[in-house]
Amino acid sequence: MLEALGNFGISWLDPWLLLLTASGTLAGIYVGAIPGLSVTMATSILISFTFKWPVNDALALIAGVFMGGVYGGSRTAILLNIPGAPSAIATAIEGYPMARRGEAGEAIGLTTVMSVFGGFVGIAALAMLAPAISSFALMFNSRDYLLLGLIGILLVGTLSGESFAKGAFAGALGVLIGMVGLDPMTAEGRFTFGSISLMGGIPYVAAMIGFFGVAEALVQLQTLDVPAIKQKIDRVIPKFSDVKRYFWLAMRASGIGTIIGALPGTGGDIAALLAYDDARRSVKNPEVPFGEGAKEGLVAPEAANNAAVGGAFIPMLTLGIPGDAVTAVIIGALFIHGLKPGPLMLVETPHLFWFTVGNLALANVFLLIFGLTGIRIFTKIVECPKAILIPLIIVLSAVGTYAIENNPVHIYWMLLFGVFGYFLKTYGFQVGPVILGVILGPMMDSNYRRAMIGARGDVGEFLWNFVSHPISLVLSVGFLLMLVSQTPLWPWIRKKAGLQR
Amino acid sequence: MSGQSIRRPGELVFACLLVIFSAAALWQAYGISGFKGLSQPGVFPMLAAATMLVSCLFVLRDTLRARETEQPGTAGASWSSILPLRLLVILAMVAIYLYAMPWLGFVLASGLFLFSCIAYLWRKGIVISLALSIASLAAIYFLFRVVFEVVLPQGSVIPAGVF
Repeated sequence: MLEALGNFGISWLDPWLLLLTASGTLAGIYVGAIPGLSVTMATSILISFTFKWPVNDALALIAGVFMGGVYGGSRTAILLNIPGAPSAIATAIEGYPMARRGEAGEAIGLTTVMSVFGGFVGIAALAMLAPAISSFALMFNSRDYLLLGLIGILLVGTLSGESFAKGAFAGALGVLIGMVGLDPMTAEGRFTFGSISLMGGIPYVAAMIGFFGVAEALVQLQTLDVPAIKQKIDRVIPKFSDVKRYFWLAMRASGIGTIIGALPGTGGDIAALLAYDDARRSVKNPEVPFGEGAKEGLVAPEAANNAAVGGAFIPMLTLGIPGDAVTAVIIGALFIHGLKPGPLMLVETPHLFWFTVGNLALANVFLLIFGLTGIRIFTKIVECPKAILIPLIIVLSAVGTYAIENNPVHIYWMLLFGVFGYFLKTYGFQVGPVILGVILGPMMDSNYRRAMIGARGDVGEFLWNFVSHPISLVLSVGFLLMLVSQTPLWPWIRKKAGLQR
Repeated sequence: MSGQSIRRPGELVFACLLVIFSAAALWQAYGISGFKGLSQPGVFPMLAAATMLVSCLFVLRDTLRARETEQPGTAGASWSSILPLRLLVILAMVAIYLYAMPWLGFVLASGLFLFSCIAYLWRKGIVISLALSIASLAAIYFLFRVVFEVVLPQGSVIPAGVF
């Protein structure tokens, strides 16, 4: 126990590690906030030059960037309505209307405090529940992952947008984009049209930058002459009464975030959306209606996505399965340093586990400090004329896309998605489900096929498995309920049940 | 399944294009492995494409039901709100930017793109646009080339080692 505490405190007492964690967190906030720069990208680029460093130094910097980056996306979501990262999609829905009312400071302050709160819940869960949660996640079968993916996309598709059909189209389109390239199981080409540059697939970061960065910049062209709202930042530290009032909501959202983060393949983005949806259902009388700047809708996703960071480390450190894209990159970093994440890691290198826990906690403290300061400088970006901002976003998107794999073809893809995304947005489609489809599509495909092979290709057995296993049954029922609630069948059922007069 | 009640200009064309695109995608997905088995690589793409086709047929139905924008005089004005001249100019600039990047290299092409875009959109004078584009380009160069060590595209007409 004392040894664990000693390892926990390493980065708190070493000035060099303190500096690395602090600069990592600060850099993470800005990387996460700049549309088109993703945490995944920053982490992978960091790894390319930290692999020569001592393992503790590299981990300290990466933990800071991860923690800061997940939070940073919320700032641009609030100030510009551009989620800096997919985990801030729900934040934009509530945060931007608040900023338009001139309450940007309050929104950022509340977001920061709740992110830090969620972060600590996630870290505490990592420290205490790691073995239990990971053994539960181990019971998840491939069909359960398929259902989780479907539920994730369905949730985003129904959250906003003009109609369910448009949401479903966007989600399926994303899955289709994710299918392009060589099939990982049989190496058969899918939608490659014989072109070599398509065989590696379309990188989802290119799609994300295109749909979120460029498409948004093009939409912004329509409102070029509308002067940016002068953001009034008079109060950043949130009212204590607000923090107290939303405590249980934040606690609940952090729980959702930790569990979703711990499930392999699902990270902060799905955690944030699920928590947002949960808040929409559970909060009966918000001060301001949801979608128009409800604080509840800001607290839930932000607490959840930072809680997911701690959660994502659980399967990564104990099972060797990444919880999301960033932890997938971090696993690569651990391998480079000669470490083997997996069930034996807690036995062979317990110091590393406690060092990581301590380091994440330290990054979270820095997040509180940097999150509540420097906002005034940050908001100058919003007051910067769009005529300067739009060309800058396009150039940043181009160089960011190029940086992923140094492949100029990806820039063309990114811009193509940008123009397509502009028309989708103009005609009332949401681009969020597309991105989720791109990220989750390959995971769902491989899990579907694994489940089908497990049922020996028998449709009856395949379907029977969905109801004969407890976890699958719960997820299947949830999925069906969500689907039915979007069709004309739902009002009819409610009428039959006597719920609607 | 409530769609909006007023049809935007070009929306019907867009919905039709989506239906054609989805049908083509379904045809392509069928071509991957046909109906050979349920765990073949083409099954999931076919499911996705079929979902796209079904849902955009619903979108097309909603669009057909929606009222067209009344007041015939405003039709032209609405078209320019979907495809304004400004957007076309910027898209043309982006196309030229991409076309020129392999020749001029990232730094020079981005500099020219930033300068012409800011000058066109902002119209505050050549000098200030030039200063702004140089300053922001320097910041981007520092961040990506120096801090992140990203190798930026080198132009074929720029001597090696200049940028």
